[in-house]
Amino acid sequence: MEQLTPEMILVMAMIGVAVFLFIVEWVRVDVVAILMMVALPLLHLVTPKEAFIGLSSNAVVSIIAVIIIGAGLDRTGIINKMVKPIVRIAGNSPSRIVIAISFTVAVISSFMQNIGAAALFLPAIQRVSKSLKIPISRLLMPIGFSAILGGTLTLVGSSPLILLNDLMAPFNLKPFGLFDVTPIGLALVISGIACFVLFGKFILPKGPDAASDQQGQEDGSSPLEEIGEAYELKTPDDFTHYRDPVRIDDLRRRYLVNVVAIVEPPDFKIVNPPPDMELRSGMDLAVYGVERDVKRMAEQEGMFLKDSLQVFQNEVAESASGAVEAVVAPRSPLVGKTLRQIDLQDRFRVTPLAIYRHGEIYRAEIGDLALGVGDAILLHGTWKRLKALQGEKSLLFTTPIDVDLMRPEKAVFAGFWLATALIMIMIFKIQLSVCLMTGALGMIITKVLTIDEAYQSVDWRTIFLLAGLIPLGIATEKTGTAAWIAHAVLNTIGTVSPMVLLSIIGLLSTVFTLVVSNVGATVLLVPLVVNMAIAANADPRMAALVVGLATNNSFILPTHQVNALYMGPGRYRSVDFMKAGAVVSVVFLAVMIGIISLVYGI
Amino acid sequence: MAIITISRGSYSKGKEVAEKVAARLGYECISREVLLDASDRFNIPEVRLIRAIHDAPSILDRFSHGKQAFMAYIRYALACRAQKDNLVYHGLAGHLLLMGIPHVLKVRVIANLGDRVKSEMSREKISEEEARSLILRDDQERRKWTRSLYGLDPWDSALYDLVLHIHKLTVDDAVAFICEAAKLKQFESTPETRRKMDDLVTACEVKALLADEYVDVRVACEFGNVLIYTKSGGRLQHKLQESARKLGREIKGIHHVEVHPGVPAPAQAV
Repeated sequence: MEQLTPEMILVMAMIGVAVFLFIVEWVRVDVVAILMMVALPLLHLVTPKEAFIGLSSNAVVSIIAVIIIGAGLDRTGIINKMVKPIVRIAGNSPSRIVIAISFTVAVISSFMQNIGAAALFLPAIQRVSKSLKIPISRLLMPIGFSAILGGTLTLVGSSPLILLNDLMAPFNLKPFGLFDVTPIGLALVISGIACFVLFGKFILPKGPDAASDQQGQEDGSSPLEEIGEAYELKTPDDFTHYRDPVRIDDLRRRYLVNVVAIVEPPDFKIVNPPPDMELRSGMDLAVYGVERDVKRMAEQEGMFLKDSLQVFQNEVAESASGAVEAVVAPRSPLVGKTLRQIDLQDRFRVTPLAIYRHGEIYRAEIGDLALGVGDAILLHGTWKRLKALQGEKSLLFTTPIDVDLMRPEKAVFAGFWLATALIMIMIFKIQLSVCLMTGALGMIITKVLTIDEAYQSVDWRTIFLLAGLIPLGIATEKTGTAAWIAHAVLNTIGTVSPMVLLSIIGLLSTVFTLVVSNVGATVLLVPLVVNMAIAANADPRMAALVVGLATNNSFILPTHQVNALYMGPGRYRSVDFMKAGAVVSVVFLAVMIGIISLVYGI
Repeated sequence: MAIITISRGSYSKGKEVAEKVAARLGYECISREVLLDASDRFNIPEVRLIRAIHDAPSILDRFSHGKQAFMAYIRYALACRAQKDNLVYHGLAGHLLLMGIPHVLKVRVIANLGDRVKSEMSREKISEEEARSLILRDDQERRKWTRSLYGLDPWDSALYDLVLHIHKLTVDDAVAFICEAAKLKQFESTPETRRKMDDLVTACEVKALLADEYVDVRVACEFGNVLIYTKSGGRLQHKLQESARKLGREIKGIHHVEVHPGVPAPAQAV
């Protein structure tokens, strides 16, 4: 066995630092990646050129192009249009709905970022859940898992697979084609969905609130209903006589009633008035609140509660403003901040009404709660202001609001350029990144989306996470660290059959992906397992493929972005993921190894 | 129409002042009654409550948090008495236990160390040396107690509306001052101050009922909306949410209950 050199120790220390920072999350994962990008050349572990080679890699350019293509498809509303027929085909049976939507999401997610596909379908799923009275917790998890599994359908479906060819390049292994993984991916998607259809009853949480017994948290209802609805009140003419001034914030604190619009006499309308505004006599108020609280407020403050919306028919009606649910996105800058710090009221003039977290609704003093990933915030505002907030990208809106930004007439062009990119990949065998970028450029030229929209759609966090970890992979390989660890591991476990070796690699990848993200796990493990496979006389391409696939096997903890996104709206707890995720993870590994041996014959 | 709390050291004539003020204004005068109330309501022997209100928490208390629970019982008992208004309380820490209530007149009565030593000598029939050290130790103990529970120094005059030194001022002078102050407009109870008192009673009741089982909860109540702050998460949090919901249904005057985990409690929380 090779001698352990100081460089190898240094590389292992850097891997240790990266893994440690991934776990403790003192800084965000993409910052850890950039740290590696800078530290490795400084320590002379890679050349400066190698340090930044990730930014120009096939993988990173492909991801940028895939994101732009996905955004283009999104803009045309093709995907939203697909929902209706799918739901119609599925009918009323929960199993068929799960199968139909899951399969569609999986297919879409094979050409889009998983999180994008998952976010696109969230509003539709919520609507289906409500209209057919199926608990949302029975729908979201199977569909979310399918979005992750769909990433294994093509080589551009998920970051690990996009990275795979780049990571295999130093070993002069034959790169994988776009659809080489499809048979395996298809089997994984089908078995994943089958798990839920067959064992759903046992592995999914019983109802949304099996644990809590009351408080009107009925099946699948959204916070929208639990927080109440819009009411209209009028203050009497002597409202301000002989009393301390009443401000809008006072009503919220006293009665948990949110004033969302007011009309000052004669007809001065303010939507989402500032909280320190004083109420005057003869004022009309539109409020959101629970009926009991609104009645109590009307009685105690001497206001007149109207039977229906009159003055505010237009303001509070769907056309101009409304209440929407927005979910705190994974890696959002809002994570860990309180609503008071973010100050939505001041910056966007939208009123936060409630926060929904882990099956609990928070209505009182919500400004003090530190937000976490998956928290759903109920916001009221005019569509225009909500759109501005959506543009900030820190929140994922589960109610579509950018209706007029849609360009359905461009659907043909979007479809054409996607097809062009695919044909270039499949028939002309041109490099992935070039084909995808052609598709992306085509969409921009045919005005499916503007170049600025394209730039904005790119998620730089993903780009730098990928690009920053690639040099770590290079360093592991170049210094011989990967080979050394591979030999050390093989010496420990002894001689094993290729099948057992691949199973171990699969298991190792699954564990790694849960703690250091799928990209991190892929970058660290691919050089390692290729060396291991070569040493153990197994097929190194298959070993790398197992890593690329098994790093998508992240179901047990809600660490995957899709799981984090669905956790809030689905009212899931970590335990729910452990239960269903454990079953799906085991099935995933078994099916993956089985199909690889069938298709490629290990 | 006020609540008067009189904070005092041992042998500082505070009790005498309190009784005379109550007699002159026709108010109820209480001290130990609060402990008896708490002992009745929560089935705790009075001795243990006395220990809680007198000794500074020991190392052991910091683990068991028994003292916190006892203080919650005492605070609830006092708040209930104060809710009825027209009260002179000369037990320990009244000014702290009724924090945030606007119509509470907070008085501290102090006396010359020499005078206090003399009173103790004549009452307990002990030497001057002994009496002095006893009084100093007692003062020290109470200081430690307030420091450890509330982070405040009882000798900080900013905690009180009125600090009276019985030396040149006689007991009767002090009584006159206090009665005069109690008649001021700012110590009159109004619907607003009574509402705050009701909220305090509710918060204290919730805290007292939770304190036994959950060690780090703090409770705030405003307009009948109860917020429970806790540091603990996970399983315990879920259980706390259940208990809170149950209390919300059982206790009269609660409109809404929420548990806010991981949020720093505001100053007015009990």
